[in-house]
Amino acid sequence: MKVGVLNYKIAGNIHSIKKALLTVGANIVEINSESDFKNIDKLIIPGVGSFSDAISEIELIREVLIENIKSKPTLGICLGMQILSKIGFEFGKTDGLGLINAEVKAIECDGSIPHMGFNSIEIVKNSPLFNGVDENSKFYFMHSYEVVNYTDILSLTTYSNHKFVSSIEKENIFGVQFHPEKSRKDGLKIFKNFLKL
Amino acid sequence: MRIIARLDVKPPYVVKPVHYEGLRKIGKPKELALKYYRQGADEIIYIDIVSSLYQREILLDEIKEASEDIFVPFGVGGGVESIDDFSKLFHYGADKVIINTNAIKNTNIIDEASKIFGSQAVVVSIQAKKWDKNFECYTDCGRIPSGKDVIEWVNEIQDRGAGEIILSSIDCDGRQRGFELELIDKVINNSKVPIIVGSGAGNLEHILEVTKLKPDGIAIASMLHYDKTTITEIREYLIKNGVEL
Repeated sequence: MKVGVLNYKIAGNIHSIKKALLTVGANIVEINSESDFKNIDKLIIPGVGSFSDAISEIELIREVLIENIKSKPTLGICLGMQILSKIGFEFGKTDGLGLINAEVKAIECDGSIPHMGFNSIEIVKNSPLFNGVDENSKFYFMHSYEVVNYTDILSLTTYSNHKFVSSIEKENIFGVQFHPEKSRKDGLKIFKNFLKL
Repeated sequence: MRIIARLDVKPPYVVKPVHYEGLRKIGKPKELALKYYRQGADEIIYIDIVSSLYQREILLDEIKEASEDIFVPFGVGGGVESIDDFSKLFHYGADKVIINTNAIKNTNIIDEASKIFGSQAVVVSIQAKKWDKNFECYTDCGRIPSGKDVIEWVNEIQDRGAGEIILSSIDCDGRQRGFELELIDKVINNSKVPIIVGSGAGNLEHILEVTKLKPDGIAIASMLHYDKTTITEIREYLIKNGVEL
C-alpha cells in the first residue's frame, strides 16, 4: 500500500509529514507530477503557504488531483484541507477544488492570530480517523483561516471563545485543520488510523 | 500557553550564553531536543547563534539531525538571509523559520516569506535592550544596536505578515533573575500576533509571574539546561497555580 504525499514546489515543507508517516510505517510516494499518481492507494495533501498560492501551484495537475481525491482515501492537512473547499478568501477570492461544501475565511476572535499551539477537539461523530484517540488529546494548530462548513463536520475546536471546524469527513475525504505530524503520539495515531482505512 | 525549550546552538554543541557572551557547552542538540520533547515541550526552538554573526552558512545537517525524532513544532533560526534559506530550512526539518538580523537589514523578506510559506511559518526574533525609557532592537547575536524602537518594529513586522514574535531581553538573558516584565507588557499590549517571551527565568516563580502578562508562549533555556527543573515540573506548577495551558 502506497501513500502519495503531494509536494508543492516552492514552499515544499512536507518534511515533517513524511517523517511522521515513515515513523508509523507508511510506504511513501512523493507526488511531483501527474505520473506519480499512478501507483498510489491513498493521498495526503499537506498545506503550505496561502490558499491562492497553493491553488496556483497545483493548477497543472488540478484535474488528475481531483479525480484521485474522489476515488482514494484522502487526508488534507491544514491548508491541504482548506483547498478542498469551494472558495477561499486569503489574498483575494480564489476558487478551491470544490470537493467539500465550504468556504475558507479569516478567523475572527479576540485571541492572537494566527491561532498557534496545542488545543483540544470535540469529536461530533464517530469516525475511523479518530479510533482510539482519547477525548483529552490535544493537537497542534497553526492557522489564521478556518473552514466554514455545516455539513461534513467531524470535530470542533474552541479558541478564545470562538468555535470552528477542526476536522471534516465526507465519504472517503478527510481533512484536519491541525497538524497530526506535530501533535506527539496523538497525531501519529491519526496517521496510523488513516493507513488502516 | 505554550512551554517551549530553547536551544542556542554553536554547532556541534548547545551552548548557553550569559548576556549573549561567555558561552558554556551544554550538550548535543539532538539529545537535548529529544529530552525536552519527552518531557512534554510544546515546541522546540533551535537557534544557530553564530551563523549570523560570523556570516557563515547555516549548517543544515545539524538541524535535520536534531529534528529527527521530534513530533512537536521545530522552529529554526540563525543566519537566515533569503527565501532560499527559508526553503532549505523547511526541507531540513524546520516547521517555522526564525529571523532577526536580516529582517532588520532587508525588511521585505518578511512580506515575501509570509506570502510564500504562510504567516504561521515566519517568526521574527527581537533582541531588545533598554535605552533610556525605551527599548531598542539589536542584531548580530545581541551585539549591534539597530536604531529601531522595539514597539515600532513590532507594529511594522505584523503589518508585513510575521506570524509570531520571539522576544528576548539582552539585559536579562542568561542571568536567571526574572523576565523583563516592562518590555514584555509593552509588546504584548501592542501586538495581535502570538508573543513568545524568553530571557530571565531562574525559578518557577519567575515563570508564574510572567504568565500574568498573558504571553502565548514561554521559552526556557538555562533552567532546563542546568537541570534546575523539567518541562513536566513547570507544567504541573503552573496548572497548580491556576494557569491555563
